[in-house]
Amino acid sequence: MMKKSLFMVIALLLPLQAAVVKADDAYVPKVYGNKNYVWDEMTPERVEVLKQTRDPVAGKDSFRGCQGCHKADAAGVREGVYPRLTGQHASVIIKQITEIRAGIRKNPKMLPFVEDPAITTEEIGNIAAYLSTLTSYRENGKGPEDMSEKGKKLFIANKCSTCHGKNGEGSEEKAYPAVASQHYGYLIREMNLIRTGVRGNSNPDMVKAISKFSQSDMDAVADYLSRLPDYRTVVAPVASSK
Amino acid sequence: MGINNYFIGRCIGALVALIGILFMSAAVYAEDAPASGAAASPEVAATPGAIPPLEERLLLCGGCHNPDGNSIIPENPRLAGLDAKYIARQLGDFKSGKRTNATMSSIIPMVDEKEFKSLAGYFSKQTRLTSTSDKAELVAKGKQIFEEGVLGTAVPACMGCHGEDGSGSEAFPRLNGQNPPYVVNQLTNFKNGGRTNDNKGLMQAVAKRMNEQEINAVAEYVSTLKEAE
Repeated sequence: MMKKSLFMVIALLLPLQAAVVKADDAYVPKVYGNKNYVWDEMTPERVEVLKQTRDPVAGKDSFRGCQGCHKADAAGVREGVYPRLTGQHASVIIKQITEIRAGIRKNPKMLPFVEDPAITTEEIGNIAAYLSTLTSYRENGKGPEDMSEKGKKLFIANKCSTCHGKNGEGSEEKAYPAVASQHYGYLIREMNLIRTGVRGNSNPDMVKAISKFSQSDMDAVADYLSRLPDYRTVVAPVASSK
Repeated sequence: MGINNYFIGRCIGALVALIGILFMSAAVYAEDAPASGAAASPEVAATPGAIPPLEERLLLCGGCHNPDGNSIIPENPRLAGLDAKYIARQLGDFKSGKRTNATMSSIIPMVDEKEFKSLAGYFSKQTRLTSTSDKAELVAKGKQIFEEGVLGTAVPACMGCHGEDGSGSEAFPRLNGQNPPYVVNQLTNFKNGGRTNDNKGLMQAVAKRMNEQEINAVAEYVSTLKEAE
């Protein structure tokens, strides 16, 4: 009897303790799927980085710790395990790194290399500035067979260009990623992670746009985008705001 | 074989430490002595606490690391050609206890912080020697990890930070020609939390993703790596 009531007390106290621990956390990331999730939230760190003057020369030095995966030319790996970063908009790099650091985008493989003390808030902007200036890149990974026609149709029909642009150029202003010439494998993986919400920072509009895609539809769109030329050879690059 | 080497290395290390301690106490004794002997050597009398000449220091450091910094004891690191600031930072970390090692932690109290720069400068200017290996399969596996990493477990390629030829920088140490058992010990320490003074925690993050075979392979490969011409 005594034993039983003791258990009851402990059982009652346990959730209380958990609640206290949770309340102590200063920042709880709002991840996709949570009721209070706000896509594209301007986190304090992101606001701070966007305000800073960015130094691409210092960024090159800071990027050294990233090269083990993204390679010295920032072109990633053709298998798509690591994305090509050359010419990606600075605003996109800043959004993604700050969201990974904040726990909004789930990327356990990358986290130790971008969280404190691996890089500082200032270094995020510098790295982003450096990457946006890079032009040379190795040939990217493409699909096993050319599915461009089907992919192009799906890309147009589902209005993907609204955000990612007609040439897959994305937007520096709105922090939409350039997707042209990205690795095929990476595009497929991220489409899946975005659609299932596993990525953590999914854009609900994109989830809706690709919700009815079959796996082969996603493969086709990825193949189409991977075969598009670097957007800067097609459209004039938009100058970074700073 | 490995245990044997390790044991011998530790014995030699301890012996050198002992010699160093004896040497140091002799020096202290000499410093105390001048009062009684008017003809005591002028350098000792005139400059108490002065930095000992390099030749004297090389007796202390060279015992384990070789006077030219290319340690022949496999458990001890080759210092030749390491970046001077990197060496000075390690000495500082041994001094402060941020990095620990039985032998180094017992030697470092004898070395003044003011000496770090000149010692580091000396060893950084020595030419790093490269070793050969008869373990072709292990070297080939190590080469692949060094250049491409391990995709499945997200082990980054070593050359990303340490350079294509493993020559390193101020932040990341030179690896080419380094002694394999030393590299194995360091990676294992980074993996297990035994060493935590790496640049921004990057090496710990990487080592935690590596298994024993991968660590052995990379260590064997870097010992054969040569600096690019």
